[in-house]
Amino acid sequence: MTEQVTEKKPSWGLYEPAEHVDVHGVDVAYRRKGEGEPVLYLHGLGLTRRWLPFHEALAQGSDVIAPEQPGFGETPRQDWIKDWSDVVLHTVEFADVLGLERFHLVGYSFGGWLAAEIAAFYPERLKSLTLITPFGLRVEGHTPADIYRMTYDPFMDRCLNDRRDEFSDYVDEGGEMETRLQSYAEISALGRVAWNPRYDYKLERRLARVTAPALVIGVDDDRILPREHVDRYAELLPNARKAIVSGTEHPTGHGVVAQEPQLLADEILTTVKGR
Amino acid sequence: MTDLEFIQIIDRTYPWFPPAFDRDSIGIDLSNANYDSDLGQDIIEGVGFQAQMAESLGYDGVLIFEQHGHPLALFGNALTGAAWLSGITKDISIGAIGPMMNNYQSPVRLAEEIAIVDTVSRGRLIVGLPMGIGAQYHAIGTANPAHARERYEEGLALLDRIWNEDGAFPWEGEYFHIPNVNLWPRPIQKPRPRVFIPAAGSIESLKVAAKYRFTYQAVAVPGPKLKANIQLFKDLCNEEGYEADPSQIILVTGFFLGETQKEAERELVRHAAWNMQNIMRYATHESFPPGHVSMESLRSMLDGGYRSKGNDPGAVREMPAFGNTPEQVVEIIKEQAEEYGAGGFIVGGAFSLPNWLAHKQMQIFAEEVMPHFRPEGKPRWARQPKPGWTSASERVGRNPHYGGMPEVEIPGRGRLPLFETDPLE
Repeated sequence: MTEQVTEKKPSWGLYEPAEHVDVHGVDVAYRRKGEGEPVLYLHGLGLTRRWLPFHEALAQGSDVIAPEQPGFGETPRQDWIKDWSDVVLHTVEFADVLGLERFHLVGYSFGGWLAAEIAAFYPERLKSLTLITPFGLRVEGHTPADIYRMTYDPFMDRCLNDRRDEFSDYVDEGGEMETRLQSYAEISALGRVAWNPRYDYKLERRLARVTAPALVIGVDDDRILPREHVDRYAELLPNARKAIVSGTEHPTGHGVVAQEPQLLADEILTTVKGR
Repeated sequence: MTDLEFIQIIDRTYPWFPPAFDRDSIGIDLSNANYDSDLGQDIIEGVGFQAQMAESLGYDGVLIFEQHGHPLALFGNALTGAAWLSGITKDISIGAIGPMMNNYQSPVRLAEEIAIVDTVSRGRLIVGLPMGIGAQYHAIGTANPAHARERYEEGLALLDRIWNEDGAFPWEGEYFHIPNVNLWPRPIQKPRPRVFIPAAGSIESLKVAAKYRFTYQAVAVPGPKLKANIQLFKDLCNEEGYEADPSQIILVTGFFLGETQKEAERELVRHAAWNMQNIMRYATHESFPPGHVSMESLRSMLDGGYRSKGNDPGAVREMPAFGNTPEQVVEIIKEQAEEYGAGGFIVGGAFSLPNWLAHKQMQIFAEEVMPHFRPEGKPRWARQPKPGWTSASERVGRNPHYGGMPEVEIPGRGRLPLFETDPLE
């Protein structure tokens, strides 16, 4: 059973119509552009239903495929999704349907957690793994912000280091009411798999399976996820390097995807191109 | 005469925390460093005192709520509170509203607690089975709010089988897999205690109440909305193939009574205002953790102008039930019972009242309002037969069903009846 989560009016900035593909009965919305190495990009909370400057920058050096997970953006919620294993399988099925045998996997925030899970279960499918300010680990003494006790605006305030007003194209979903509903739909889809626990302690052991080149990206001043999570991922992944994407004018935050799209894309392309 | 049931809310708030006018929420993370166990003992024991008062005043029942992580009501498990109340009272019905099914790892565990409290109270338990308000999910850590509805409904379906079928049977669900469901002891009320489903109007909750013939505990909402909710509940009962009984509709309301309007103002307005400003005060989004409501419900609530608790002390005097004389309250109750087809009222005052003032409120209500709605002024427990027995003689006279007779094997003598054998003979 699916539930239509919101009216879809392309009235906000950076909107780009999506392509659609049927993945075992799920009508998946995705955007794809660029040539070269295939890069499967997994979004976080928010910033969906758009082709971002970051996507564009990444597409200058690779074939970017950006699906929207069930319940996010324009892909309908799926009641059968109960835990991460369902999302992992769905994402891999999406790659199968598009004929992506091996690919570079990039995940941002909660998409980083998903990417880490996929990497642990399907290490042979990865050409490389990039995690941008990724959730997913339990790091004692460094609990992330409780995003479930925030509405979308304060969440984005934190992501964008109190400069949300400069990013209205990124955060508006078609008016105040629609933004509220869309953000609730997405955090509900996230909550189905990531309410409790808000980490997967098994990744501590499982990440040793990921031998592909890995890149873990942190930022200057992350007000959602403590830097120690980035450090820990870099320790656990056997073939990882860590990079900090710093801001040119202002410190970067959890919303680095919006804040420094070009620098972030350049860093990722370095790994994708094996340089 | 309209024969109505009256259940008094006796929960009390722990009020000794810093004034919280600037806080979004008084639940969830108001630190328990503010809790003092001596003061807490006074609040909690006051609940027992009020239960005893309510019984001596002739209320049909008393009621406490399950709450978590905040000072507004102190029973994290309403059933443990109900077990205690059953020990310090004799006749009055005891409502435990909560427990939240989703706080239990297994519904069997919940069924066990219900059965034991029902037994030790001699069939006086009323159990409320809410899905649980959203804010609770931030502070208890058992269930995922985005799975809450599915898990809750599966749990209720299992409880229904537990109450209506003999064990052992397997339960093979999505959230629970229990190879052998086999409840010992079973409730003293047959087949189960009364069940209340508190609801502000969620259609999902009303469906559940109708499906299992539970009582719809109608949380106070504006009149037209309340009427629509109750009609919907009746329609849903019809769809299930039966007419809703008036006992299945109970209205939650509050009265602030004084000898005179002026006396009520003097004694109660500050408590009524404090309650409005504090009780269940959560930021809107904390009432709706992820997935706790459907998108349709959320859109409908936001379109309807849902907002957080108000903070307008002046609004208290506008409350329909504030400062009325007992005669006016009698009329209000009569009208509401007729208009909504309700069989009873859950009556609350202010959670912050000192015991003496709560006692005064309850006494005025009991002496000047309740007698208008019951034959000879008697509560139901004084008029109706009770489940269970009250003497050994009665136990034998009731001809209990013996599932089997125990035997014992004595060496050299074989198997002999356990209770009728002298092993030395």
